[in-house]
Amino acid sequence: MIIHTASEGITLARKLENESAEFYEHLSQKYTKDAETFLSFSRENKKNVIQIDRVYYGVITDAIEGGYAFNLDPDNYAFSIGIPENASYADILKQAVEIENKIITFYTDAAGQSDSLMADVPRAFRLVAKKRESRLEKLQQLL
Amino acid sequence: MALLEEMIKGEKTLKNYIGGEWVESKGELVDVVNPANCKTIARVPISTKEEINSAVVAAREAFPDWRRTTPLARSRLLFRLKDLLEENFEEVSRIQTQEHGKTIDESRGETRRGIENVEVACGIPTLMQGYYSEDIAHGIDEWVIPTPLGVFGIIGPFNFPWMIPLWSAPYAVATGNCVIIKPSSEVPNSQTRLAELVEEAGFPPGVWNVVHGGRTVVNGMLDHTDITGITFVGSTPTGRDVIYKRCGETGKRVIAQCGAKNFMTIMPDCDMDRTVAAMMTSYFGNAGQRCLAAANAVIVGDDDSFYRSFVQKVVDMAASIRIGYGLDESIQMGPVRDKTKKAKILKYIETGIKDGAKLLLDGRQVKPEGGLPDTCFLGPTIFENVRPDSPVGSEEIFGPVMSIMRVKDLDEAIKISNANPFGNGHSIFTSNGKSAREFQYSIESGNVGINIGIVAPVAFFPFSGMKDSFYGVLHTQGKEAIRFFTESKVVIQRWF
Repeated sequence: MIIHTASEGITLARKLENESAEFYEHLSQKYTKDAETFLSFSRENKKNVIQIDRVYYGVITDAIEGGYAFNLDPDNYAFSIGIPENASYADILKQAVEIENKIITFYTDAAGQSDSLMADVPRAFRLVAKKRESRLEKLQQLL
Repeated sequence: MALLEEMIKGEKTLKNYIGGEWVESKGELVDVVNPANCKTIARVPISTKEEINSAVVAAREAFPDWRRTTPLARSRLLFRLKDLLEENFEEVSRIQTQEHGKTIDESRGETRRGIENVEVACGIPTLMQGYYSEDIAHGIDEWVIPTPLGVFGIIGPFNFPWMIPLWSAPYAVATGNCVIIKPSSEVPNSQTRLAELVEEAGFPPGVWNVVHGGRTVVNGMLDHTDITGITFVGSTPTGRDVIYKRCGETGKRVIAQCGAKNFMTIMPDCDMDRTVAAMMTSYFGNAGQRCLAAANAVIVGDDDSFYRSFVQKVVDMAASIRIGYGLDESIQMGPVRDKTKKAKILKYIETGIKDGAKLLLDGRQVKPEGGLPDTCFLGPTIFENVRPDSPVGSEEIFGPVMSIMRVKDLDEAIKISNANPFGNGHSIFTSNGKSAREFQYSIESGNVGINIGIVAPVAFFPFSGMKDSFYGVLHTQGKEAIRFFTESKVVIQRWF
């Protein structure tokens, strides 16, 4: 179902952050060599949730177009956080890259659509997307 | 999409908050019903004359100490209250959705707007400063001291149960007055929860009181000689013929913010996509139950192609609005407050049809999401060819009904807007600065929007209104509220 309201959009952002955090926590337990990197991603995800919530709750007012903020299909950003038993470390890192790319696409799309939520919300989305791009570089280095 | 958790559970019997105590009322109890699912969520008392009188006594007794509390100390309590409101932001927002029906985004927006007024009032140490002139004559100085007045009554409407009393109350108490709030008995939970947070913040007993009820409480406020002033938000007949008139008779200060019939002028050079999205919120947000909701869409020009494509876009988008319980995050429009209000709106729709307006979108038969009863639900309704002097085109419907009118030029759009007795929140959508300037100059409206669908002033600006939309002089919010809640004491001093 297509997402239109600001509330749904923010909930989806939270979901993507929390699910990917869970994924990295699993990785940190399974691949202890790079555990600190994965845990830092997970911690950063939680900070992202706080930042996005703070911005949304700070700008939402009854006078803006909160009910018509987005036109997003959540299926476009869906990813699996399951870790296949036979997967190699390289496969897992590729999975992480795919997850990050999906989330970057989400934030980029959402930022482009959320002008009606005043500048703060799209700016926060773009900021998180940018942080994730630097995360992609770190994942590539682990490969 | 799953529902967010409801915050009101069970059926609590509400109490009055008088003199720092939660007091059971002796008045009749009335059910408060969630309009989305028709479940009773509380019972509210219709308080007696003795109960409003006891609140006035408590407020009057609290006043001398409270006015002697320094503005800085009063400000600190407001800061504490602001923190508590932030901590409980989501809870109070969901309460609004449960008791009023608005969507969760709308409720959160209302919560934010309310908090902003507390934030502005936190600046009272500087907002309340007077001014001074040395040597107005040789050796004589003169200055003004804004002084608090006593006890104020705040009468809230049903459409913004949380925010609207906060247009007044923070400024009243910040300036050293005491308040008695009478929430709408249809939506009393929000103000009850607010009073709990006020108590938790540590305001002294009697400074902030809440008395639930109806006419008896309002009349008790209007008649009581120890009430210095009233702020009211509601319909024009009540605001003009009861509140404003009786305050005049009893020598009270008054702010009476009343009804509206807002005209939105749409120029052919507008940004069509952004305009249509803004229109959805303006006409159908809060299910049209806003004094700043647009009601009439005045489309300017003889370009048939623009007119047809614009109207089609509006109808298509309105037809796709998801209707249901506001605690479902995907919902874009909730129910109207109750079935009586729905019946009144339906009557207007039928009148519009009889008067020859063309019904482009009929919201009378609607199936809300989730199999909810349709008792209080209506869909967006759009009329075309509405005459501005017809009941649908001229009277306040207070529901999700858009009336489209077509005019030849901007002058005609302004003329028909100004011919309406209300003047609350007219707006224009255009990319032409000259048109925008001419509109804001000539339009008779207290709040004017330029590419803004809901012209809701932020807390540090007055919430204005003209003509039949406002009775009084000063307005709620910001500096005007500070002036309303204080008297200018002028001191002229000479020493021998």
